[in-house]
Amino acid sequence: MTTATGRAEPSRTSPRGEPGALRAMWQHRVDYAYVLPSIVVMLIVIAYPIYYTIDLSFYKTPPSLQLRDKIFVGMENYTAILSSDVFWRVTWNTVVWTFGSTVFSFMLGFGAALALHRDFFGRGVMRAILIIPWVISAVAASYIWKWIYHSDFGVIGAVLVGLGITSRPPNFIDNVDTVLPALIVVNIWREFPFAMIMMMAGLQTVPDQLLRAAKVDGANAWQRFWHVTFPHLSSVSTVTVLLLAVSNFNSFIIPWIMTGGGPSNASHIWITHIYELAFGRQRWGVASAYSVLLFLILMALGYFYVRALGGNESKDRGT
Amino acid sequence: MAHVVLKDLVKTYGSFNAVNHVSLTVNDGEFVALVGPSGCGKTTTLNLVAGLIPITSGEIAIGDRVVNDLDPKDRDIAMVFQNYALYPQKSVYKNLAFPLQMRKLPREEIDRKVKDAARVLDMTHLLERKPRELSGGQQQRVALGRALVRDPAVFLMDEPLSNLDAKLRVQMRSEIKRFHQDLKATIIYVTHDQLEAVTMADRMAVMNGGFLQQYDSPAQVFAHPVNMFVASFIGSPAMSLVPLEATTADGETVLTSAEGWILPLSARNARKVAAATSNKIVLGARHSTIKLHKSAVPGAVPAKTYTVEPTGDITFVQAFLAGAIVNISVPPTVAVAPDAAVWLEFDQDRIHLFDGETEMALNAD
Amino acid sequence: MSIAGERPVIPRRSRRQVDGWRWAGRIFLVLMLLYTAAPMAWMLLTSIKSGFAAMQMPPQWWPEEPTLASYAKLLDPQNSVGADFLRFFWNSLFVSTMTTILAVIVAVPAAYAFSRFSFPGRKFLFFAVLLRNMFPAVIFLVPLFILMRVLGLVNTHGSLILTYLTFGLPLAIWLLKGFYDNIPIQLEQAARIDGATRFQAFLLIVMPLSVPGIIATAIYSFIAAWNEYIYAYTFLSKNDQLTLPVGIQRFFSENTTDFPGLMAASFLMSVPVVVLFLVLQRYFVRALTEGAVKH
Repeated sequence: MTTATGRAEPSRTSPRGEPGALRAMWQHRVDYAYVLPSIVVMLIVIAYPIYYTIDLSFYKTPPSLQLRDKIFVGMENYTAILSSDVFWRVTWNTVVWTFGSTVFSFMLGFGAALALHRDFFGRGVMRAILIIPWVISAVAASYIWKWIYHSDFGVIGAVLVGLGITSRPPNFIDNVDTVLPALIVVNIWREFPFAMIMMMAGLQTVPDQLLRAAKVDGANAWQRFWHVTFPHLSSVSTVTVLLLAVSNFNSFIIPWIMTGGGPSNASHIWITHIYELAFGRQRWGVASAYSVLLFLILMALGYFYVRALGGNESKDRGT
Repeated sequence: MAHVVLKDLVKTYGSFNAVNHVSLTVNDGEFVALVGPSGCGKTTTLNLVAGLIPITSGEIAIGDRVVNDLDPKDRDIAMVFQNYALYPQKSVYKNLAFPLQMRKLPREEIDRKVKDAARVLDMTHLLERKPRELSGGQQQRVALGRALVRDPAVFLMDEPLSNLDAKLRVQMRSEIKRFHQDLKATIIYVTHDQLEAVTMADRMAVMNGGFLQQYDSPAQVFAHPVNMFVASFIGSPAMSLVPLEATTADGETVLTSAEGWILPLSARNARKVAAATSNKIVLGARHSTIKLHKSAVPGAVPAKTYTVEPTGDITFVQAFLAGAIVNISVPPTVAVAPDAAVWLEFDQDRIHLFDGETEMALNAD
Repeated sequence: MSIAGERPVIPRRSRRQVDGWRWAGRIFLVLMLLYTAAPMAWMLLTSIKSGFAAMQMPPQWWPEEPTLASYAKLLDPQNSVGADFLRFFWNSLFVSTMTTILAVIVAVPAAYAFSRFSFPGRKFLFFAVLLRNMFPAVIFLVPLFILMRVLGLVNTHGSLILTYLTFGLPLAIWLLKGFYDNIPIQLEQAARIDGATRFQAFLLIVMPLSVPGIIATAIYSFIAAWNEYIYAYTFLSKNDQLTLPVGIQRFFSENTTDFPGLMAASFLMSVPVVVLFLVLQRYFVRALTEGAVKH
């Protein structure tokens, strides 16, 4: 009982689902009114679509979206997906995309946060500039980088030729081998500032006393980082990496605008592929089945996400 | 001003009972302290009186009105919080005016009352400041002022001094006591500091584990604690409690220790021991009632000193006795070394005896 | 470089070691700055070139004849390009502003409830809200498209506002909850004892204190709505309804070689959100970190 703070939290002491639960809900009926607007909106726009997607994944659908004409096909959509070559290609792309983007965004963001942690002249300006890519639209970013990568007039190609590294400008985007790394570079450009902000905030919570104690104990800069700073940031890091992973897994705009998934599916990831199946080729049933699979993967990720946040939440309660 | 009656008050959170069947009456103009360790239910009780949390069962009356279902705003109470709870965006003036504005008083009357309160609390020059520009003591005074302007039936105070430093706390303690005397206000004051309760309150309600342990004047609670918890909680240093065993030797009731020594009892104390539910007896004694000898004397029992803490006008000695730690006070002129053998003599008229099973005080009558 | 002025704060430490780490940090920052700023600089440089000057190899590193022609074209309502661009701009502004206002109105009471009340299922509801953040737009596209058709909202800005609201709300609630958690509950208790109802305590005491949080939430909602692409791309087909991201894409799929125009449009599209962010970044960064990094 934290009587002193006035935050009487019964949740830890009252077991769930006891007979008093209904009575307790009744007692708190007014409190629900505050949440009701959110819940109603969420139900309409989240629960219904999820139900709908699962349902549709068992049907063969006509292209017109005249859903009266749909035909029940059971698991056929799922078997079709899992046996197709494109599925495995796209899945591999998604893994490379998500993993590469997340790891590098996090490392660059963390590095920038560390470099910006100590106060120096111009730090505020530098921080603001580093965050801007995160604020501007991914559509704009895609066009900017498409122009930078341009096969004839791209500035990177010009620099490489100018330095004598290649004889003619390389074609990053229309090359099956380079397209995915090239897009990942763009994605990292937009994502690392997020990791930077999170880690900067995390760094502020590292107690100075602990660092001073470590210094007194004879730890050098690297040892202080490794034994004090980094462990202290573990929960922030977990949340950041999970948020990055989820958002990268769900990416759409950059590959869609820059390449449309090409050349020959080399830059298609799950989301762009599903979009193309549904809205490009009107294969709603298959796209829905894809979505359900995606849903299952996200549920697994979501389990860790909630656990990471939940750890945070209960720590917060304990104060 | 009004009296406050709590009747069989219960507050449960799920299966946890924060407040257990507490009944007590606060008389009109009385200063009552709710005191106990953290988590004992004292703040919960205060919040129940304030109406900030709903009661599970029981009855609360302020004046002659049962207020169980009234909102805090309709209970005619004022409250001072531990962290002062001053509205950070409002100036001191607006903080003081807020409760009056909520009661829709005319502007001129609000102005007059705020300025009166500011004058009483000597902070007229602070009226335009924001709370964060004030020191802890000044913030505390504003919080008090905000309670004062309202002229409420009851003042509720939730550990109002615990965020202040030691020196300021002593000063504010006397100011609040003065405030009570001048206003003849009914005050319910929550604190975990038994010294605050003892020095300020007309009566104190000692709580533990959600139960009311003892409700009496500080002098009575100090002299006649009803059980071992109250005995050890009230008084500083705490009353020493030594677990012993009652036996009969030569037809007389005596207390024996595991170490082998025997403590004879007076006839009155022997009658107390006879009332116990078992032969397990706990001997209680306050530091000032124990005599310390450096050599064996008849009636004194052997102990070994542990620490010696001179405070200037008095020196506190801690000693091991029958596995327990005993506090003794000696004049500063007596030189005692740590880890020395000493002999302790108890005053038969001033020791306390407790039932080792029920932990309740033993009485002779 | 601005960091050149940096001085060792604690002089007692061994100089060699300090310099090693600090130089690594400086070099890293310079490289990151280059990575971040160079593409934006190139966008600006290209946007003030003529179409001919942009298409040269090797490129003109600095435009030989800088021109604002691309901007003039985009901002001229008489010109068909300019008329479209301004219309897209206005559409984006309308949708983003409406989304922001509604998000704040809905999120404020919800976040407050999540922060303060301990009603059964509170934790469950909170995670349900957070989980929404995890699912990609694609999952919701088809059913939402059909739902919008049922509601008669296809090809209206209403469909976008409603949708943006749902993906903006979870984070808005999360951010605001962080703010409310930091406002001591005793303030409301004091207000209620001082004569306020629960609602008055919220309105008169808590709301003014949460203004920074509300500002941050509003910026976040605005930026997210302004930059949203996939729903707008799917739900809108009429040219005069399009928002900027879709409009620009539509437009330049027909003029694939007008790179100065494309860069100028990208720049103009970024101006509102970047300015908003730079002016209010204090609130923005604070809100994001208070929600996410519990102390």
